[in-house]
Amino acid sequence: MGKESKAVAALGVDVLADAPLYEQVRDSLTRLVLERTLSDSTPLPTEPNLMDLFGVSRGTLRRAIEDLVRDGLLSAEQGRGTFVIQEERVRRVVWQRLSEVAKPDSRFDMDLRNFVPDFAGSTAAHKRVAKRSEWAQAQVIFCAPDNSIELLRLAALIAGKKILVPTYGLSRGFIFLDGSKLAASDKQLAATLDGMEKFGSRLGPGDLRKVGKIDLVITGATAVTLDGRHIGGGQRYLALEWLMMRELGVVDRSTPVIAIVHDCQVVDEMVEAEPDCLLGIICTNTQEIDVRVAREISVPQLRRVQ
Amino acid sequence: MSMALTTEQYREQIWAELAKVARPDSRFHWDFSSFICDFEGSEKCSDQLLELAAITDRGRRQIFVTPDNCLEDLRYKLIQRGIPFVMTTYGIVRGFYRLDPAMIPVGDHRYAATLDGFDRYAKQLSLRQLQETEKFSLLVTGGSAVSKNGVRFGKGHGYFDFEWAVLSELGLTDSSSVVADVVHDCQFVNEVMPAEKHDVVVDWVITPTQKIHIDQSSRQHGRVFWEMVPGTEFAGLSIVAELRDIQNLGLL
Repeated sequence: MGKESKAVAALGVDVLADAPLYEQVRDSLTRLVLERTLSDSTPLPTEPNLMDLFGVSRGTLRRAIEDLVRDGLLSAEQGRGTFVIQEERVRRVVWQRLSEVAKPDSRFDMDLRNFVPDFAGSTAAHKRVAKRSEWAQAQVIFCAPDNSIELLRLAALIAGKKILVPTYGLSRGFIFLDGSKLAASDKQLAATLDGMEKFGSRLGPGDLRKVGKIDLVITGATAVTLDGRHIGGGQRYLALEWLMMRELGVVDRSTPVIAIVHDCQVVDEMVEAEPDCLLGIICTNTQEIDVRVAREISVPQLRRVQ
Repeated sequence: MSMALTTEQYREQIWAELAKVARPDSRFHWDFSSFICDFEGSEKCSDQLLELAAITDRGRRQIFVTPDNCLEDLRYKLIQRGIPFVMTTYGIVRGFYRLDPAMIPVGDHRYAATLDGFDRYAKQLSLRQLQETEKFSLLVTGGSAVSKNGVRFGKGHGYFDFEWAVLSELGLTDSSSVVADVVHDCQFVNEVMPAEKHDVVVDWVITPTQKIHIDQSSRQHGRVFWEMVPGTEFAGLSIVAELRDIQNLGLL
């Protein structure tokens, strides 16, 4: 115990604290990952090194790492070592910042793992979208079921546009709402997740063609990168929805994709992931970023993958 | 002749029936363990509720409604009639809110009745602010299942029992407070069930086709059983900390 306590104390962990040692190691490891002291691109130090660093036994260390693997922050790869999962690291960093400006969900409150929250200043971001030519020209808009774009869904309905909104978790397919056919007093409710099913028609993936061509895709996000990656809450629904729509030919590479996020959700790094739904424009509470330009210049390998 | 089933068996049986008439939740889909669902005919329940003296008697009218989906239509009709009410947020996470229909534009009545819209217009009330208001004449909840003697059981009833306990500790309920449970007919069990000490037995069971009155004149005054709180979802609630605070300061 003497040996353990000294080394662990150096990392700000306390053997006299109430929390079990493995939880303290887990929290320290998480901190080192989030502040990028431990890199994403190389494996974590070896077990003996980490045991030394924290001054804990192999059993304690393994338990901490198993927890983080289960939570999706680390992945243990046979024969290669343990790696940080970059997307999850970005999510966690952004969640910390976002909790300052996020608005609670009617069910999930502030449990950001389960939903994309609305945030202070989202209206300013919406206004940037509404000024763009893609918006003016769009008749049919795909809108993610994210809270941060609820009022933009409302703006689309008020403007008489048609919107296609997936149900939460895609549990009941897609809902199609025609702003030109809704009564003015119903639009506010129709823009919410609680209300949209009272007014819209439900479409399964097979019915999507009936919608015709989608002119614009608008989404919120947990995080976005300056090279146009969308990082969702973890289940990658947008990627799935995009694939479905692409297969059916209602979207293609020329379909503009706009993300609405708070400044604190914009991450200046590249995320290695399957290129599915690449963003074109990011509108935040203070700025408008055209990421297509950045992508052409700085990420030539992405074009190759496409 | 029917053998009484266990509460587990009742719940399974009821959920199977309920699935035929239920309306899914916008987030939880058909996961009845996460929410109290709306069902076909809930509009008829609200119409019956609106006839209760606890609502029609304007002299002493203070209404509490749970955030259950089957009460959305009731909330809408209360708003339309200009009747304010108090509600908790889902899971009591952010405590109690009061919705004053006078603050809501006419076009947004239906919106304000949903959980998504409620937040926009309702005002949060601390327990201290709640204490300044009148006693509750009517408390309405939904639930998984309810017995002939007014005992609610199955998933979900814990929250309302706790809300009742907190409001009672604050002195906001008394023997004239009326408790109504809105359920579908398939959630009503024609058996006598034993009540636990923290269960709130209900005065009315309102279904789309029935309005059943149950005599609860011997109902105990509600209270928080503090020894039961640790380790539950209630332990971390801000209202629990506030209630302890109030009690420690002897403000009750």
